[in-house]
Amino acid sequence: MDAVSLVEENSIRKMLDQKKNMEFFLSVCVGCGMCADSCFLYVNNNKDPSYMPSYKAVHSLGKMYRKKGRVSRRELEEMKDLIWDKCVLCTRCYCPVGISIPSMISWARSICRSQGVFREYDQTDELSK
Amino acid sequence: MVKGKRKPFEEIKDMVRRHRKVLNVGCGGCVSVCYAGGMKEVNILNEQLRASFKQEDVPFIIDAYTVERQCNQDLLAELDNVAPKYEAMLSMACGAGCQYLAERFPGIPVYPAINTMFIGVDKEIGLFEERCRACGSCVLGLTGGICPVTRCAKSLFNGPCGGTNQTSCEVSKDIPCAWYDIYFRLKEIGQLDNILRVREPMQWKNTTRGVFVQEGYEERFAPKEKGGISKLLDRIH
Repeated sequence: MDAVSLVEENSIRKMLDQKKNMEFFLSVCVGCGMCADSCFLYVNNNKDPSYMPSYKAVHSLGKMYRKKGRVSRRELEEMKDLIWDKCVLCTRCYCPVGISIPSMISWARSICRSQGVFREYDQTDELSK
Repeated sequence: MVKGKRKPFEEIKDMVRRHRKVLNVGCGGCVSVCYAGGMKEVNILNEQLRASFKQEDVPFIIDAYTVERQCNQDLLAELDNVAPKYEAMLSMACGAGCQYLAERFPGIPVYPAINTMFIGVDKEIGLFEERCRACGSCVLGLTGGICPVTRCAKSLFNGPCGGTNQTSCEVSKDIPCAWYDIYFRLKEIGQLDNILRVREPMQWKNTTRGVFVQEGYEERFAPKEKGGISKLLDRIH
């Protein structure tokens, strides 16, 4: 899909409002980083911080909440790397305060899907350029 | 990963024919990776069903919803407010996902739109090949990393059958004999003595439903009292 075409901000906002608990989750994350070691992708990628579960949630769904749904298609496309390529939704990330990080990443994906932004596995990097 | 293939269109159409309002549920997991049941494929199938029923002048509504994985109840929860609005659901996940979807919504008929094929590899874009049949008794360590269960037509465990013809299988000369390949692989890695080791008869554990407890979690799932969950334990591999 065209990276500059408009997104339906209202429908994104509605979806964000449906999961107020997630906004609360994001507000109580203290960034302790304990979720990092429970993520096998983080451990296996030289502890690259962008693989930290909290980073992935904060920079996808968190960003949508911060901007109150006013995100551009390009921003949603950029999130794809974080929420699809850097997370397999194994649901094994551990949070000491009980935040469900996978449910936030899953909801961020659902919001992206609602705008026609999703991972297409038959598109290689070369084809999508 | 699990590989799946969409069922023939007419078969899918026949399954949903009796319903007027259907939800087609995609899966963002393995079947997306093999282009069988992801969001894109869900939309394609829906368009085809709509057009086909319209041609017959049959009223038919079909909507799409793709969850991230159908094999996880937490991720299926997204459908709790959506599914009850429909008479039936099509599942574009593997057999496991389809069953889990049906389990979550016992009052709604769920039909599979995918044939689950095997556990396999991505050879090329759009080409998938079986590598594992989840038999529960892996012998790859003894066979140089070549699986005799998936590669041999008879799934033989102790050398080739009498039908082996130089490099090929008696089923077809285009199919390589697994045991011929195993022999040369073992020779190459200096483990030819493995071929003389007689493997115990296969237990075919995959003929009962698979349940297994990962190492380190045994205590968590141990029976609380003697005989308490013995029926379940009988099936644990």
